[in-house]
Amino acid sequence: MSAPMEIVLSADSAGQLWNCAVLELHSGTNLLAYRGGNTSSRSLTVLNGEYILGAQLGKNFINVWEIQRKDQLQQKIVCPGIVTCLTASPNGLYLVAGIADAIYLWEVSSGNLLAILSRHYQDLTCLRFSDDSSHFISGGKDNLALVWSLASVVQLDPSHTPEPRHVLSRHSLPITDIHCGLMGPQARVATASLDQTVKLWELSSGEMLLSVLFDVGIMSVTLDPCEYYLFCGGSDGGIFQVSLCSQSLSRDKTFQSDNEGNQVFKGHRNLVTCLSVSMDGTLLLSGSHDETIRLWDIQSKQSVRSINHKGPVTNALIIPAPANMFLPDSRPGIPLPRFSRHLNPSEQGEGVETGGVCLRLAPHTQSVFGDGENTKVRVSELEEEVRTLKKVNKDLYDFSTQLLTKPS
Amino acid sequence: MSLCKKKRQDDFQKVKLKVGKTKPKADNATNINFRTKGINLTEQLKKDANAPTTHRKLNIKDLLSQLHHYSGTVKQGALVGLRELLTLHPSELDQHLSSLLSEAAAVFTDKDPNVRMSATRLLRFIAQSVPAERTSPFFPLLSAHLSCAMTHIETGIQEDALKVLDVLLDHYPALLAARPALLLNNFLELISHRSTGGGARKGQEGKGRSWALSVNPNRNVTGQQWRLTVLLRLGRFLQAVVEERRAEEGVACVSGDMFSVLNGQGGANAPLELNWEELTYRKGGFQVFEHSGAMPTPHSTFKLRPETEPGAGVSEGLGTGEAVRGFASTLVPLLLDVWVEASASDRSKTDSAHLLTPDAMSLMYQVLSILQLLRKLAPQREYQDTLDVWFRSEYLGDFKQHFMKNFPYGNLDTPKQRRKTDPKRSKQSTTIPGQTVEPLALNVLLCQVMVSMVTLSQREGQAQEPDAEWLMPLRGFVQETLSSGAKLSQRHLHTLLETVWRMVITQRSRAVTEDLLQAVYVQYQQMNLNLQTRTLLLSFYSRLYLQEHNHTHIARSRVLSRWLAALPLQLSQLGHRNPALSDRLLLSIQAAASRGNKALLNSLHTHACRLYDPQEGSVVLLPAESQQRLVQLLYFLPVMSQGLLANLSRCCTAGRVSAGLAASLIRIIHLRSSLSGWSVGSQDMTLRDVDYISFLFSTLTGSDLNHCLCPTHRKCATAWRRWGLVHSALTYGVLVCTHLCACVCNCVSLSQTGLAVVPDSMAAGLLRAVARLLDLSFLPSEPLLRFLSRCCLSLLSLLLTLQQDTAVWGACVAVLSSIPRLLRLVLQSLRVKDLCEEELPQLAQILSLLLQHTALRNHMLANATLLQHIIQDLTRYCRGESKEQWMTDLLYCYSVTMATHRGNLGLRDIY
Repeated sequence: MSAPMEIVLSADSAGQLWNCAVLELHSGTNLLAYRGGNTSSRSLTVLNGEYILGAQLGKNFINVWEIQRKDQLQQKIVCPGIVTCLTASPNGLYLVAGIADAIYLWEVSSGNLLAILSRHYQDLTCLRFSDDSSHFISGGKDNLALVWSLASVVQLDPSHTPEPRHVLSRHSLPITDIHCGLMGPQARVATASLDQTVKLWELSSGEMLLSVLFDVGIMSVTLDPCEYYLFCGGSDGGIFQVSLCSQSLSRDKTFQSDNEGNQVFKGHRNLVTCLSVSMDGTLLLSGSHDETIRLWDIQSKQSVRSINHKGPVTNALIIPAPANMFLPDSRPGIPLPRFSRHLNPSEQGEGVETGGVCLRLAPHTQSVFGDGENTKVRVSELEEEVRTLKKVNKDLYDFSTQLLTKPS
Repeated sequence: MSLCKKKRQDDFQKVKLKVGKTKPKADNATNINFRTKGINLTEQLKKDANAPTTHRKLNIKDLLSQLHHYSGTVKQGALVGLRELLTLHPSELDQHLSSLLSEAAAVFTDKDPNVRMSATRLLRFIAQSVPAERTSPFFPLLSAHLSCAMTHIETGIQEDALKVLDVLLDHYPALLAARPALLLNNFLELISHRSTGGGARKGQEGKGRSWALSVNPNRNVTGQQWRLTVLLRLGRFLQAVVEERRAEEGVACVSGDMFSVLNGQGGANAPLELNWEELTYRKGGFQVFEHSGAMPTPHSTFKLRPETEPGAGVSEGLGTGEAVRGFASTLVPLLLDVWVEASASDRSKTDSAHLLTPDAMSLMYQVLSILQLLRKLAPQREYQDTLDVWFRSEYLGDFKQHFMKNFPYGNLDTPKQRRKTDPKRSKQSTTIPGQTVEPLALNVLLCQVMVSMVTLSQREGQAQEPDAEWLMPLRGFVQETLSSGAKLSQRHLHTLLETVWRMVITQRSRAVTEDLLQAVYVQYQQMNLNLQTRTLLLSFYSRLYLQEHNHTHIARSRVLSRWLAALPLQLSQLGHRNPALSDRLLLSIQAAASRGNKALLNSLHTHACRLYDPQEGSVVLLPAESQQRLVQLLYFLPVMSQGLLANLSRCCTAGRVSAGLAASLIRIIHLRSSLSGWSVGSQDMTLRDVDYISFLFSTLTGSDLNHCLCPTHRKCATAWRRWGLVHSALTYGVLVCTHLCACVCNCVSLSQTGLAVVPDSMAAGLLRAVARLLDLSFLPSEPLLRFLSRCCLSLLSLLLTLQQDTAVWGACVAVLSSIPRLLRLVLQSLRVKDLCEEELPQLAQILSLLLQHTALRNHMLANATLLQHIIQDLTRYCRGESKEQWMTDLLYCYSVTMATHRGNLGLRDIY
């Protein structure tokens, strides 16, 4: 059997049999299970395709597994407080955790704690990165969602406390879930809240585009990859589908006639806590407090499969299968360092054993090109391109002068 | 023949003239015994049918051609005639706008003052009736004539040009502001002259400047008054430019008007607001646009870097930061000169230098307001800071020297002087339109200008000391003015608040903040403030509070927390009197509550019972939107007391909040309970389960009691709707647990004893709840079952009258199928003997309904003997009418049921 393309990663709060399970997306067969502890809500994440991280429910540490060794905990990252949400950047360079009302940002390569952002007034509920890792969004129980630019947060400038790029402050009750779409800094962000609304924002300007008011509080939200549909998991177990672009009426008029009330996926009997859409946008995964995860066919809105868990589902996500997952002999590219608990390890007397150089971006350099080596390559590439452009331009000019000056 | 002859003689009789006698008059002599008078034909007799005319029968072409007449009176007459014509026939204006404007503009520079005056009047008339977008094509021409008049060598024409400018500023500020370059120079030339020579070469390098104030002795007003008139116009013009720029940017208005916008609304894009119910039942889809929400726009708000110069050609005047700076560097020295002259001219008269005459006062006021406007001229937000820094570095010394020297300025009014100058002033006041500036306005504006100088220096970490020194008197003045308790006008208060804001943000010292805020609080606590002022003060505080995150000195301010703590009380006292203000208060309360502010939450807790009072609490008095905010506040309340919960349940049941809102209230309380699976955070377990459940049940019973009082059909429907919502809330996390069941039973028995008559809807609700909640392992007690069976029966009979009510039916079926014993009890209680004739058909119908239902069929079969008895009784008691429809229906159902399963006995046994 060939390795599956996409897998389902799910965890529940009971954790009787395993902490988190890996299922095949289409057949629903159980592939792997990682053991030890249980994972709190919105805190299961895959780092760089090599590690699985999950914050322990109600405790102040994060469980880490190497992705190919399912039985053994690789490490426990001890944190200053109970971790309420956790996420790793898609490029695998940074790890962000919400601990009480503060956001902790670690650099994965060194394990240094780069920043503690305490701009929320109450506990955090959700953290999400944009797909190019340039921004992350944090939502909390103080009704605020903050957009942070990663580059400005990691700047090494003691006098300057990092400020969020945008404050999304139009919700009137705690934020329950955030989804960040594709397209890097031009992405659209969906936030769900207990105030029965889901709002769609533009990441670049921080402006609200859409607000949908529901009959029930919304516990989870996601967009399909094309951003045609918004899926909202309600606190009564319904999943509401909002179509973001009107279909052309001429083409599918027959289907439009019976669209009354058919935009709800009915099946769950309790809070829908997590939603995720597959890469091709045909399958929707939902996890609920009624101890099941369900797989839905989006087109027909039918439940394709229901998988029982032993406790309320805390995390369920569809991810592309990491390469290492099914190769028991593989090793992660980089060993995970020890994550520090304090902002400046040198002052605490730790971390002196590493003789490495700490490379941080200066306050005023632009962070467009990443690190130094890349820059050189990039600059030479750009110079090359400018040269070719000039040549093309000159050719065009020559050609047109010839054409114009030619006696007709 | 002889007759003929005689006649001839008669004809030619000879008149004899004699000497000494008067000569007889000839027959044809002219009688000159009359007097003449001239007749002027002012109107033509011709009547042109197609062109409307004035009362002088002149049409518009004649009038326009008369404007080229050499005589001033003719021209003036033509202008008056034009005005008359246009008032009578407004349609003419549309047709001849271009020629009208060009001809009228041409006489701006006429030698005759009367003509100019009439031209101005005509222009004002046209401007009143033609919107800006239709004038815009002719505007270059107008402004060319205007600047021609402004730079005219005759002073009279210059003065009248300013009146023309007034008209344009009144009606077309945006058009004027679009090309400021030329006009700005004209303004400068009106009050100063460019000194050629050494100055010009040095350019704008500080002191060696090329412009100097000029005085023209020919004018019929003093130099000071002339400057005042010019500066007044310049101020208005700059205001127009600033406003136009703001309209262009759109977003900037958030920071422009500090306290008007609270929660960051008013962006360029309008978001799309949708409702799930509408969404589901609307036929057509909707569209969300990529970057703009509801309306499509080609502009993305995503900017890589600030765009450089939007329109390079047009905005030469003030388009870039450098241009503004250049203009400022010419203007500010001139303004300083004006200031110095104004203050110097007074000092000779009086020994106390801070007392000013009204003229000087208004002149200084204009100087300051222009300075303030110059700051705002920066084309982009990013340049604002650099401009401020430049102002500070360049002019702080001068400003300090001149403005601050005699700072709190007062009004000089000695009655003697006033009397002496009275006639003169009355003449001058015609030239200066309504300018009497109070000293307070001047002082307040001075504070604002000076405080704006301080801003950025602090952030860059320079020494605070020099600033603190000259800020002292300013702060003293602001504090004194605010805390004096006097009523301030809206505008002054706004300026003062902006000053305080700036000081608080820049001064970063806790003591200073505390003092200033205390002063504002004195204003806030005044009794009879009007709504606008109250809102202004309120939004000042709430904005301050929202800003506190990066200013610890604000966050720790005691005044601010006292203000916050007072808010809930104010809200409850305000009641329904002023919904707008209540909404403001609620916004602030909500923000503070979501941040977990201790002071506010405690105060909210103490006043919660009043706020949520079902009779006169804010929650029932305010409009729906505020109600929703209040309900959402419940989430943040630190402790839910029993009294509060009782109030809330009565709120839900009193019917003064909408069903949707009641449902969301219940949902929020559910979220706070431990049954919801959502951790509220630090405030866990502040709502005890017992309280929660008693709240739910008191809501349930109360709700239905209320609705059974007015059992019209429509009301029933809404009650049912509410029931559905409440029910779904109830069954969220309340999964089957015996503890809960015990509660249910207690409640039920309670209601059983308490209520003699159970309303139908409540009965149905109870049945549904029991069906959902009851565990198989739990054995319900006998009295409960009996009660339930009675409910069931009455509902079933009700069902026959309300045909389509599936909810009632569903509840019955659910409870009957989940508790088999209940079904048995129901069947047992169907005693045919006790029924009268009329009730028999009903009974039969109920039975056939039960038999038809597949979910119940098995249970029915389990009670087959009982059923058989009933049917036998039925047939016995109504033997006479066994051919009735209902009887045959029942028998048929019964036989089918029996036949499918056992296929034996059934009917044969009965017969």
